[in-house]
Amino acid sequence: MSYDSQETLAAFSTQNGITFPVLSDVGSATIERFGILNTVALEYLENDSDDPEFIAYVRQFATVGGRQERVRGIPFPGTFMVDREGRVTSRYFEDYYRERSTVSNIMLRLGAGEDTVTGTQIESDHLDITTYPSDGTVALGNRFALVVDITPGPGMHVYAPGASDYRVISLTVEPQPFLSVLPIDFPPSEIYYFAPLNERVPVYQKPFRLLQEVVPAVTPEAQKAFAGKDNLTIVGTLEYQACDDAICYNPVTVPLTWTVALRPFLRPEPRQ
Amino acid sequence: MSVDGALFQVGAMSAFKTSGLRLMLLLAVLMPAAAAGGQSVEERMKVDLSQVGPQIGERVPDFSLVDQTGRTQTLQSLMGPNGLMMVFFRSADW
Repeated sequence: MSYDSQETLAAFSTQNGITFPVLSDVGSATIERFGILNTVALEYLENDSDDPEFIAYVRQFATVGGRQERVRGIPFPGTFMVDREGRVTSRYFEDYYRERSTVSNIMLRLGAGEDTVTGTQIESDHLDITTYPSDGTVALGNRFALVVDITPGPGMHVYAPGASDYRVISLTVEPQPFLSVLPIDFPPSEIYYFAPLNERVPVYQKPFRLLQEVVPAVTPEAQKAFAGKDNLTIVGTLEYQACDDAICYNPVTVPLTWTVALRPFLRPEPRQ
Repeated sequence: MSVDGALFQVGAMSAFKTSGLRLMLLLAVLMPAAAAGGQSVEERMKVDLSQVGPQIGERVPDFSLVDQTGRTQTLQSLMGPNGLMMVFFRSADW
């Protein structure tokens, strides 16, 4: 939904091959009833201040452009998932308006993801690992996920966060300029009881998935840095320690790589 | 500036509505001069996006809007077997 006219949305849908409904909320009454009318944009229009703090605030939440009438009526952009009773089950809003979760990323986070991007298979002695990005192609500002699907080998378990005295599983992304790396939410683990030592430790024994979200920056500096680049490669390492029910193996470090294509911003086609 | 549709991908999309729940967006009136020990811009104006719009568990407002084909759509008409996904974006035009 946007405040655009039906005509604008029709052209936009055709240009971009969109077949799902896109709703026209001319005048933004529905946006307002949802409570997500962008009030920072309105403040900007009503108020002449060029106080640097105010401007920085406006640039984060409303616009990096000037005081243009077109920002009146825009929403704070975001996504809601709603159940059949009309109740919100999850919601996705970003503090910086130019950063946005991709649909595939949201689906993965909801456990509803499809493997649409071919992955890389890695077999270690203890685990089968498949890595892939949530999206094969991203734009700057897209919040997407680096996926690591892990299947412990027969009889194997790996130590999960909270297991002291062992090397717990960790995923580290190598820093690179203009790439934000978000904290990982590890999936729930199970408690493994190791009788010989009478210890209970959190482990992963069944197949599990790690989602590492990243956002390539969309600031002017970032755009310059990425100019002319067709793809983005992200490098990381997975560290883990695996045991079977008899022995524990040495900790292992596995290098991982993801590559996504970078696409330029969509631009509206000039109107006649 | 990017067209705000940078988010769009193939995927099920639908709209949703909440019934009647209005969220009051609190926004301090911009006071003349932050001087004299007044609050900073940030304190006065910070919007907490986690609090705007319907929260988890709340119903979304009702609506009746035309889609790009000219069809009128409501929460009910858009609802799928598993629910709805609704994306609010800024504009398809700039």
